[in-house]
Amino acid sequence: MSPDPRGPRRPLTRRQMLGRTGAGFGLLGLAGALESAGLLAPTAAHGAAAHGVGLGGMHHPAKAKRVIFLFMNGAPSHVDTFDPKPALARYSGETPSADEFKLERKLKGGTFMPSPFRFRPHGESGVVMSDLFPHLSHFADDLCVLRGMHTDTPNHEPGLLLMHSGHQQPTRPSLGSWLSYGLGSENANLPPFVVLCPGLPVVGPQLWSSAFLPGEHQGMSVNTSDLDVHKMIAHLKHSKLDRAEQRKQLDLIQQMNDLHRSSRPHESALDAQISSLELAFQMQTEAGEAFDLSREPDRLRETYGRTTFGQSCLLARRLVERDVRVVQVYYVDGQNKQPWDTHSANDRGHRRLCADADRATAALLGDLKARGLLEDTLVIWGGEFGRTPYSEPAKKGDPGRDHHHTGFSMFLAGGGVKGGYTHGATDEFGMNAIEGRMHVHDLHATALHLLGIDHERLTYRYSGRDFRLTDVYGSVIQDIIA
Amino acid sequence: MSLAPESVGRWSGRRITTAATLAIVLGLAPQARPAADDADGLALFEAKIRPVLIEQCYSCHSAEHDAAKGGLRLDTHAAMLQGGDGGPAVEPGDPELSLLIEAIRYDSYVQMPPSKKLAPEVIAAFEQWVAMGAPDPRDADGPAAPEPSAEGIDWEAARSSWTYQPPQRSEPPEVSDPSWVRSPIDAFILARLDDAGLAPNPEADRRTLARRLSIDLIGLPPDPLEVEAFVADPSPNAVEDYVDRLLASPHFGERWARVWLDLARYAEDQAHIVGDDTSLTYPNAYLYRDWLIAALNDDLPYDTFIRRQLAADLIEPADADELAALGFIGLGPKYYRRNSPEVMAEEWEDRVDVVSRGLLGLTVACARCHDHKYDPISTEDYYALAGVFASTVMFNQPLTDECELDKDGGAKAPEEAVHIIKDAEPKDLNVFIRGNVEQKGPVARRHFLTVLSDGEPTPLGDETSSGRLDLAEAIADPSNPLTSRVVVNRIWGQLFGRSIVGTPSNFGILGEKPTHPELLDDLAARFVTEGNWSLKTLIRELATSSTYRQSSAITDTHRAIDPENTLYARASRKRLVVESWRDSVLSASGTLDRTVGGPSIDPSDPEIGRRTLYSRISRLELHPMLARFDFPDPNAHSDGRARTTTPLQKLFVLNSPFVTHHADRLADRLATEAGDDTQARIDLAYRLLYARPPSEAETQLALSFLGSDSCDDHDRWAVYAQALLASNEFLLID
Repeated sequence: MSPDPRGPRRPLTRRQMLGRTGAGFGLLGLAGALESAGLLAPTAAHGAAAHGVGLGGMHHPAKAKRVIFLFMNGAPSHVDTFDPKPALARYSGETPSADEFKLERKLKGGTFMPSPFRFRPHGESGVVMSDLFPHLSHFADDLCVLRGMHTDTPNHEPGLLLMHSGHQQPTRPSLGSWLSYGLGSENANLPPFVVLCPGLPVVGPQLWSSAFLPGEHQGMSVNTSDLDVHKMIAHLKHSKLDRAEQRKQLDLIQQMNDLHRSSRPHESALDAQISSLELAFQMQTEAGEAFDLSREPDRLRETYGRTTFGQSCLLARRLVERDVRVVQVYYVDGQNKQPWDTHSANDRGHRRLCADADRATAALLGDLKARGLLEDTLVIWGGEFGRTPYSEPAKKGDPGRDHHHTGFSMFLAGGGVKGGYTHGATDEFGMNAIEGRMHVHDLHATALHLLGIDHERLTYRYSGRDFRLTDVYGSVIQDIIA
Repeated sequence: MSLAPESVGRWSGRRITTAATLAIVLGLAPQARPAADDADGLALFEAKIRPVLIEQCYSCHSAEHDAAKGGLRLDTHAAMLQGGDGGPAVEPGDPELSLLIEAIRYDSYVQMPPSKKLAPEVIAAFEQWVAMGAPDPRDADGPAAPEPSAEGIDWEAARSSWTYQPPQRSEPPEVSDPSWVRSPIDAFILARLDDAGLAPNPEADRRTLARRLSIDLIGLPPDPLEVEAFVADPSPNAVEDYVDRLLASPHFGERWARVWLDLARYAEDQAHIVGDDTSLTYPNAYLYRDWLIAALNDDLPYDTFIRRQLAADLIEPADADELAALGFIGLGPKYYRRNSPEVMAEEWEDRVDVVSRGLLGLTVACARCHDHKYDPISTEDYYALAGVFASTVMFNQPLTDECELDKDGGAKAPEEAVHIIKDAEPKDLNVFIRGNVEQKGPVARRHFLTVLSDGEPTPLGDETSSGRLDLAEAIADPSNPLTSRVVVNRIWGQLFGRSIVGTPSNFGILGEKPTHPELLDDLAARFVTEGNWSLKTLIRELATSSTYRQSSAITDTHRAIDPENTLYARASRKRLVVESWRDSVLSASGTLDRTVGGPSIDPSDPEIGRRTLYSRISRLELHPMLARFDFPDPNAHSDGRARTTTPLQKLFVLNSPFVTHHADRLADRLATEAGDDTQARIDLAYRLLYARPPSEAETQLALSFLGSDSCDDHDRWAVYAQALLASNEFLLID
């Protein structure tokens, strides 16, 4: 037996800190809690925000305060959107060599298939995109297109999990949960991490799970199938009491709590419960307002498009405007959990989907810009991987494109990334990322960096070791940072 | 992006022969050191090689950056020759055999540097330099690479530390007030309080104790009549008798089964069910839950409890009803694209994790990719244990003889089966180097953890058996130093609000140290020898101790000397977990259904009065009410409940149909049972919810809210009833 198994007095563990700071921790985030405990050196921009860490950042000054992740479920085709491959016309009809390209999925008789869409440079920067984006092209100078993306698997479920949590199994916290944990919320009346989706995407709630992080950091998922406020948020309103009556009931509860507390001095947990109840009451109004799209002018609603995705993008703006830290918007529809999964009729599918996504995304960027929010809001657009530059023949009708993970495109906007910039490249076929290669871990590392977090230092001790979003991987891609 | 795991594998996979050859060459490596007249080569190194290495490689492959991705460092000559996971990076004199050259040419899956291929002239310079014998003036300062420490664990030293020594009995220490000592527990606690200059709090009043004991032991609030009987009981053994009644209650097993279900990451489906596919749902998973309830109610000795959950099918005589116990492993997660090697490796990790953290308090899964950084657990140990689970399969055990079978003898329809495990083809796994399934190291013969074995590791299984039963025996062996400590510590934590080892699933170096090591050891040793592994005996001793009976009042002295209450000079206030909270609501409103066992339910359905324990637990989508109130993610072992306080919880309390419905029922009940007497109703409400009568101030508060003549105003009473349910006193246990 060692001399004294109790060991020397140690500094507070994070877990103890969590226990001590109670409700305050969730609202302040780790950075705020550490700062208030004097464990985090204040940074230059400190003081920008009342509750959270604002642009002070956790480890270095942040360029972004919030994130909107527009997720195109099923995976959009890079060679039809942001990565023109004229060579595909030359090789059209030829079978890609399974060996040369080390294909992981069966070829199913596919041959190289050129995109039918016309690519043109846009804006002063000349960022190139296909004519599927007539609206978004006006924001070319705001986009940072990533053409060198790659991921580890061409399958939806592990691909989705990797893109959300940096791991292929459903056992790790999501990006949004890490950000909530690290940075907390700057609006005590709204949850820090909100997920907007009509129904559920493939995989489902594991995509916004807090896993082993405290439960308060999981995304609050909102079913946008019906955009009525009370359909979207459960328990926002008492079934019988109006606000004044409920206030009286609340006063009664708090008077009872006061009596209870008066005979239990020094029990800080009681104060946390009392203030949390008060917050809930406030949130009824605040959330009711934040989620109420009817408060937006009709013309703006039309600009976003009267579709679920369009209106969800508008909702995302209302939420980040109120300092919700992370909003994830899923492009899913009632019938299809992954509409971008165009195994057949790829071209028609992309025409239809882009018509909606283009309008909504452009409206969102324009709206954020007009309100001065784009500069410190990081917008991420993309899917879990890309689609094959070769065809997947359909049993009948037009061919589609299969899953493709060794090279694909995403784009970022705002939040401190270079606008009007294209980073990375795939080979002449659009098969493999060859330049400016950016793995999902790199995307995560870079996103955290933009929010003032060193991805190697935002860790959580669980099961005997320190976990982080990027596991043992990930590099910050400095080239894309403005 | 650096070396992705798959890349490492492909590299070595393709070049394994080369790597082996080069390993032989390694012995000659010193001869390749630069000679004095090697000026041209050294000049080339300084001009063309060193700057590129520093600029392009060191950030991931140098001691300076504390990075050796893929096990490779490139900052010393020796490190380059030693190489990384794939073997030596450089073969002096032969660029075509040098992995470094292959990588920078982007010829293979390993493409370095990952950001961009080097310019052709730079690659040519590297080729020329290697061809010249790779002359390199850099001194081998420091270790060449992170040394593989497979043989690096000093097992004897490791076994001598507290964690791996069997728990020892200790003579209870002398204390200032021997009359306070009801059990050895109290002596250990009081001795430390004496040292710290603290006195224990007085015993809590009977009403407080009644509620505390009832919630702690059976998870339900006490009946007001029971409380009165307990308060009036003049017997010196009143507490002991009250505890015995609770231990004998059929609800005891319900309360404690849930503690085990957290640990066992119990769920009734998988995280990746798509569409209407039901093959990954387990409609009869509840049979495992019900097995636990019965086992705990019957006080099945803990060693047997473990044996059956790991190996009921291998214990003679096999009892069909006991097979449900195998849900411990059988209901574990299955991942998407299972049967592919990398996915099965993940599943084995889950099994190793739930067994090692859950039963042994060791984080063995940390050793999957490298030897445990802190604890004496080697990668070989990990794969030796994982082999047991690689030799075990999950399947649908038919519940009747009639049901339709698949080709493996399992039931076709999940509705007709219980999902358990059985032995598969026994096999030993290769160690996967750095956890990479494509990079196989030596075979790890199945065996128990070396540090917990005497001398040579205890073998598990053989050519004909998985080794599950051997594993169960090794864990349930009375000489296992951890099994008893870990379970005693967990139960202590449930009753006292914090456990003696604050990290109940990690007794390793990174876990917290025990606050009372002698106490934990003495309890653990007696649990096995005197208690014969009886959980009820253990719980009885804890719950009747003077330590447990203290009041929860916090004084200035407590705050000054022991604010965290690590010395137990008072009882710690506890919050109801979601199960007890919802069950208490049902109990108050008179709608609690006390049936024990049975199929699962939706806990937020206001019409369902079954206990919360019976909630359907989904890995795919955890019930939102449970998730909101800190229920753990059932995708992995949980070492304890988080305690969050969030506005979303309060919104549920203020507005959910569940709470408003039961507030209505509570108002009905008060009217029915207390009649048209406002004060009698208020009195009953306080007894039902808080196990005490209201104070004068509380009665006045209620009267001023309700009005003196409100008995016919049901809605008003419902609002009041909801306020009582939403109050802090309802949620907290003194």
